[in-house]
Amino acid sequence: MSKKILAWLPLALLPAAALASDPVSSWVFDPVTPVAQDVRDTFYIMLGLTVPFLLLPQVLLAYAIWKFNEKRGHKPATFHDNVKLEVVWTIVPALVLVAISIPAYSTLKKIEVPPKSDLVVEVIGHQFFWEYRMPRHEIGFANEALVVPADKIITLNLTSVDVIHSWWVPSFGVKQDANPGRITHAWFKAPEGKYKGQCAELCGPLHGEMWIDVNVVSEEEFEKWLEKKMNAAAAPADSLHSGLVVPAADTEAVNG
Amino acid sequence: MAEVKQQSTLMRYLSSTDHKEIGIMYLIFALVMGVVGGFLAGIIRMQLWNATGGVVSPELYNQVVTMHATIMIFFVIIPAMAGFGNYLVPIMIGARDMAFPKLNAFSFWLLIPAALIGIASFFVEGGAAGGGWTSYQPLTSAQYSGTPGVDMWIIVVHLTGASSILGAINFIVTIFNMRAPGMSMMKMPLYVWAWLTNAFMILVGTPVLAGAVTMVLFDRHFGTGFFRPSEGGDPVLYQHLFWFYSHPAVYIMIVPGFGAISHIVAAFSRKKVFGYTGMVYAIAGIGILGFMVWAHHMFTTGLAPSVRAFFAFMTMLIAVPTGVKIFSWLATIWGGTIKFTVPMKFALGMISLFVIGGIGGVWLGNVPVDIQLHDSYFVVGHLHYVLFGGSVMSLLAAAYFWFPKMTGKFLDEKIGNIVFWCMFIGMSMTFFMMHWAGMQGMARRTYVYRPQFEGLNQFMSFGYVFMLLGGILFCWSVFKAIRQPAVKTADDAWNVNDIQDSLEWKTSSPPPKENFKTIPIVT
Repeated sequence: MSKKILAWLPLALLPAAALASDPVSSWVFDPVTPVAQDVRDTFYIMLGLTVPFLLLPQVLLAYAIWKFNEKRGHKPATFHDNVKLEVVWTIVPALVLVAISIPAYSTLKKIEVPPKSDLVVEVIGHQFFWEYRMPRHEIGFANEALVVPADKIITLNLTSVDVIHSWWVPSFGVKQDANPGRITHAWFKAPEGKYKGQCAELCGPLHGEMWIDVNVVSEEEFEKWLEKKMNAAAAPADSLHSGLVVPAADTEAVNG
Repeated sequence: MAEVKQQSTLMRYLSSTDHKEIGIMYLIFALVMGVVGGFLAGIIRMQLWNATGGVVSPELYNQVVTMHATIMIFFVIIPAMAGFGNYLVPIMIGARDMAFPKLNAFSFWLLIPAALIGIASFFVEGGAAGGGWTSYQPLTSAQYSGTPGVDMWIIVVHLTGASSILGAINFIVTIFNMRAPGMSMMKMPLYVWAWLTNAFMILVGTPVLAGAVTMVLFDRHFGTGFFRPSEGGDPVLYQHLFWFYSHPAVYIMIVPGFGAISHIVAAFSRKKVFGYTGMVYAIAGIGILGFMVWAHHMFTTGLAPSVRAFFAFMTMLIAVPTGVKIFSWLATIWGGTIKFTVPMKFALGMISLFVIGGIGGVWLGNVPVDIQLHDSYFVVGHLHYVLFGGSVMSLLAAAYFWFPKMTGKFLDEKIGNIVFWCMFIGMSMTFFMMHWAGMQGMARRTYVYRPQFEGLNQFMSFGYVFMLLGGILFCWSVFKAIRQPAVKTADDAWNVNDIQDSLEWKTSSPPPKENFKTIPIVT
């Protein structure tokens, strides 16, 4: 096993050094897709509803510590029951939880039900890099940035050829496991820009350097990039894996 | 002469079937393993000091992370809880021992080979298991982790699991059959209720984990394909089985602590526990709901939305009984006369920290938000608030509270204060900031990270130094107290039993063999 890793080491490490230093942006502070913005809104609604329950016990605790210090020399109270109070602190949190659930479920629906797709990208996890394929254009590439057009619905079909990986780009609000033997789905629609992410499921020794780069470009730029890729793909015989050291591990899962 | 006597004490412990001696051995074991687990945490914090790492190799980093979790869960928190349970439950219900004393000893002694195998696995070819304590498939299958580390990890899980299951049976039988005359179920102390619930959770959950890791073992060596897609198996099935135990395991690690906290806040507020009946239902509710939330660990695996919606709601629902407990503790101290002993400080600190852990849990139940927080440092922060802020703080509270009962000696109050503040400040520094890092997109279980998180990580590593200092001082004060000459300590060591009315304070400190001269009658 360790030999196998050594063989991949240069592949995984070379681009990583450059990618790693770029900051990743967050789904809370820089959400760029409709889904990520909804996730942020869901989060802020929940934040507003839960912070009182976070602070109330702390405030009561602090007050009690100050107020009921034995040094004040009062007699301890003797109550140890109050049904009304107990009903209130059971029912009220339960109602708040229902209130939190409503936006959560509508956001879940948005994540799960993508609009009509403009571009399908197959995302295939490898130890320790990502392979992308665009079946409509018959191109495939790995270990480099995914390039997609801006403001289009991009749907992802994810799987893995070896262990479980997870494709995570925080500012897209997308984190989806890529499981061997299964195909999972995700989608995003992002404005132009360079976005960062990384594998979010422990997938082996070099998991920490399985970075993700997505370049969202204008339609014209995308066409140009596509043309270049398609030309490159047409030249050598084995188009898909040209110049790529795909480990001879099992391919049991992929190629659906 | 002294040496001969010491050896005989050692031999007495090694061959003991007395629940008190076994309880103490559990606690010593947990403390020693806590040193090992804390050392591994130190390696993690050193590695993460720089964004580019450089202290350990990626392989070793994964092994350290895996074994830090395995040791802290299976060798520190669960045995420490079992240690206090073993010591206290029979006394609290007025029994002379556990129902099956030899089985009790066997439960403890299973842990020793487990710990030795766990530590030894670092030194075999390929090192220890490196797939995380979750050991997801197919990462720890023969194909991707072919070395013996994972097999040894599976044996560790089996031995500790068997230990837990046997212990749980023992607790259930003891609590149902050996209560003193007059002690009806609803007169049992909350600590005993917590242990009863806990024992049932262990009994229901642990065999499922044992089954799951056995299937992994078969997949690895005997050609089965439970979790191998090429054989029609399914890696996601493993996650269901694993989390069916391992989510309740979180409650297994905290529920006895809840029981202890109830006793301690009541004792030092000089009040009875508020809402005893509500507390009993809350504990039982957590025990039952705890088995219906496991899939919230799997919201990114591609589960059907309806499944996620169900588990999201159940997850948030568990906040209700937990909230009942928090509010009842606050109502217990309300209007009391609070005495700020060291155990009380740990108990109040636990309440404060556990509220943060609990609210973090609600956030993680919210599916769309969880999808983003999942496998980020937010989860690492949250779980340490629950397991350190909750479990470890309640264990330290229990240690300071019942140490005089167990030994007839008090732990040093001055050192205890320093231990408390080291732990409270240190854990807040380290684990609070993890939430923040995770929200900004820092992934967990990575041996390097983006440089934007370097400052935060260095701050976290400073927090570790405080916890390390607290740990060293705690060990030292235990050592110091044990070496002190014996003194006469009152039965009711903290002078609380006029209100608390709990049986452990009605026998000598430490209690005699078989606990009571005559079995007490509870009215």
